[in-house]
Amino acid sequence: MELTKNITLGVYLPGKSSIHNLDPRTKIITATIMIVLLLISRSYAAFALSALFTGFLITLSGVPAGYAMRGLKPMLPVLAIMWVFQLFLFKAPDTTVYFHWWIFEATAAGLHMGNLIILRVLFLFTVTTFLTLTTSVVSLTDGLENLLKPLRAIGIPSQELVMTLVIALRFVLILAEELEKIIKAQMARGVAFDRGNFIQKTRKIFPVFLPLFIGAFKRAEELIVAMDARSYTGGKGRTKMKTLHMGRVDLGAAAVMIVYGGMLIYIIISTEPMI
Amino acid sequence: MSIEVVNLSHSYKEGTPFEKQVLFEINLSIGEGEFVGIIGPTRSGKTTLAQHFNALHIPRRGKVLIDGLDTKDKRADLVKIRHRVGYVFQNPEYQLFAPTVGEDIAFGPLNQKLSREEVEGRVREAMAQVGLDYRALRDRDIFALSGGQKRRAAIAGVLACKPGVLVLDDITAGLDPRGREEILSVIKELHHRRNLTTIFISNSMDEVAAMAERIIVIDRGRVIMDDPTRKVFARFKELRDIGLELPEVTVLIDRLRTAGFNLPAGVLNISEALTSISAALRELEARK
Repeated sequence: MELTKNITLGVYLPGKSSIHNLDPRTKIITATIMIVLLLISRSYAAFALSALFTGFLITLSGVPAGYAMRGLKPMLPVLAIMWVFQLFLFKAPDTTVYFHWWIFEATAAGLHMGNLIILRVLFLFTVTTFLTLTTSVVSLTDGLENLLKPLRAIGIPSQELVMTLVIALRFVLILAEELEKIIKAQMARGVAFDRGNFIQKTRKIFPVFLPLFIGAFKRAEELIVAMDARSYTGGKGRTKMKTLHMGRVDLGAAAVMIVYGGMLIYIIISTEPMI
Repeated sequence: MSIEVVNLSHSYKEGTPFEKQVLFEINLSIGEGEFVGIIGPTRSGKTTLAQHFNALHIPRRGKVLIDGLDTKDKRADLVKIRHRVGYVFQNPEYQLFAPTVGEDIAFGPLNQKLSREEVEGRVREAMAQVGLDYRALRDRDIFALSGGQKRRAAIAGVLACKPGVLVLDDITAGLDPRGREEILSVIKELHHRRNLTTIFISNSMDEVAAMAERIIVIDRGRVIMDDPTRKVFARFKELRDIGLELPEVTVLIDRLRTAGFNLPAGVLNISEALTSISAALRELEARK
């Protein structure tokens, strides 16, 4: 019984690779560009190039590929359901119909739409997970704060926003641990979480949420008190112990990104979209 | 009920870069009606080992037999094993999940698919066993209980499943002295009256010395001692080396001995200390 094993989002895997050594701002900007490019990608060729590039980054970082993808495992049933829905319910004119029954219609358009959505989710998840796997929470915070600083001028409390985001990220793992404790306590008194089919298992999850939420609120309250006790007053007037520096690695990263981005945009323009 | 552990090893986060082995080839057996204490420094693997006893962890390497039933066996009824081996967790707050005391204690029996009357009977009995007033507390909000009451409610929730083995994971941590005293006497009485096999994990040497007949010492995932209580505490040097202390009363008597009082070595609890000190005093008196 171990839930946290499959959680990779928000986990930091320390390392010494050139990816780890990049300035957090470079990594955040790069990840954002990759995500935007993925959202405008509509052809299989474009996704193939992105897959190659992501594979290259993962190899370079020294993060075991199996571990980087591990967080996808619990999402697979959900993705499968999404895919089936797209396949049977997506409607488009002038498309090959493979199969027809009542309101359900498996079409070529549906198939491609399903694939497109799955690919997008897979890549979005992998890119963000890869970002947190190779960037510590502290530098992620510093990088984001720095990037969002200009927003202060128009009255957006960027430091507070980033703080909230980082806390949320940290809580993914904390909540998973809490969930594991509650599930274990219920298993100890006779709930068979490890038995039954997908639907039966899902139904057993509901009684777990009440104590989980109560626990989350309690934790949030404790966190507020702890922050108050250390005189946290928001972003105004805060200074940094470590300042960020861009170096030669970051220049290299920019070059690599320009080449990749250029190739991808060319492919996106020149190839036939899947849908 | 008996528990047998054969060559058990366990790693957390297996197959990830964070993999960490916490148990190394553990072998032990616990017989019917025994009262066994498990001690060891923090993070030594006590809880992980104990959670193998009720099949919350299923062994990857080695095996655990509960009354001869292998928890690894695909056909083994794990739910039944978990009802037979009751587990009281470290922080009772995690174990209590229903809104009221009565509903929470009824959770286990309801999972056993008992009738309404039977469940009600079990709740009444379990609350009586831990000294909670059935009438006054049955419909009380769980979060309105005191720390000591919460722990007793948690124990009652486990007892209501009618286990043959009771695993208690550091159940007195964070309680005031009176709360501790109350919980311990409840446990002692259950053990004596119902011949319940009891596994008592604790960080307090005083408690273990006063409660357990046999002690298993675990350090960094290995069993380093498994002997009757007196014999374990006689090896105090080794215990100190791994960061454990002796019971305070043992230390006190030891100091009195070096100061020249005629007292026996290896006194383990307050009542023993009391009898030996009063005997020594009488002897002094007589000599005068």
